[in-house]
Amino acid sequence: MDIFQNLIKAKSISKLEKLVKIELGYLQESMEIKSIKITGDFFLHPEETIEKLEGSLVGVKLEKDSIKNKIEYILKNSEFYGFDVDSISNAIVDCVKKR
Amino acid sequence: MAVDEFLLGNTNDPVLRIFGWSRPCVSIGYFQSIDDIDYEKCKKEGVDVVRRITGGGAVFHDRELTYSFFTKNFPNNIMESYKEICQLIILALKRLGFEAKFSPLNDITINGKKVCGNAQTRKNNTLLQHGTILLDVDVDRMFSLLNVPLEKIEDKKIEDVKNRVMGISKKFEQVSDSLKSSAKEYFQCELIPYQLNQKDQDSCKKIMNEKYSNTDWIFRR
Repeated sequence: MDIFQNLIKAKSISKLEKLVKIELGYLQESMEIKSIKITGDFFLHPEETIEKLEGSLVGVKLEKDSIKNKIEYILKNSEFYGFDVDSISNAIVDCVKKR
Repeated sequence: MAVDEFLLGNTNDPVLRIFGWSRPCVSIGYFQSIDDIDYEKCKKEGVDVVRRITGGGAVFHDRELTYSFFTKNFPNNIMESYKEICQLIILALKRLGFEAKFSPLNDITINGKKVCGNAQTRKNNTLLQHGTILLDVDVDRMFSLLNVPLEKIEDKKIEDVKNRVMGISKKFEQVSDSLKSSAKEYFQCELIPYQLNQKDQDSCKKIMNEKYSNTDWIFRR
């Protein structure tokens, strides 16, 4: 159960064409994302997709392929500029590496 | 911002809106963290803060001309749509004697210096692109209000970054007239002055009060 695991907070910043900042909360033992905020000066249409993306990443294991698959799925009908699926996936995983 | 949002949902014809700022303001992009600006310093110095419905970075609005352009006829591709609408601004700057260039995705430069930044959103099959043409810029003040992250500067010195932005040193009315003339030429059309009626103005005020003046919206990220 979640309440028996440590909640770890971490951040990362990455820059492709635009800046992407990740603030992450994850469970230490299960390495599952508990909370995530993705901010930056990028563009994404429709804009509301960002909240959908953040919500969908909760519960996902902090492992590149799982994260990448989820992001690809959520962004499949969106237009975006300033990042790509790979760079944003790396930025999320980097939160743990940079702790 | 409230007027832009109102027009986004209530216009069928192309609209070009031109305005200035009665007092300085920092606008932040839809996706930005409020920490990307020094909010407390803005408040202390009487600088308003507003969150846009468009993406992109923080902008210090002071001595500039701001435009908003609304159209239902635009390329699907983001890059192409920015390029197309930015041509209108480039034409306006050419009329004023400047050789300006489109710098993807959303900037316009003169001799490598940024004079105009732009941002888009798309709703109700309508595209809004708004942007600012810098007339004069206090770069020190701008950078004091915006928390420019080191990652954005990378290996450049802050002085070099400050030198990448410039004002065109023209009067608001000159730029406004040039923009209107360019719109007529670029779109091969006449411009019809448009005034929001009282009902529309009330709707805009409602949007302003419920959203843009609300700290829940400003601090949402």
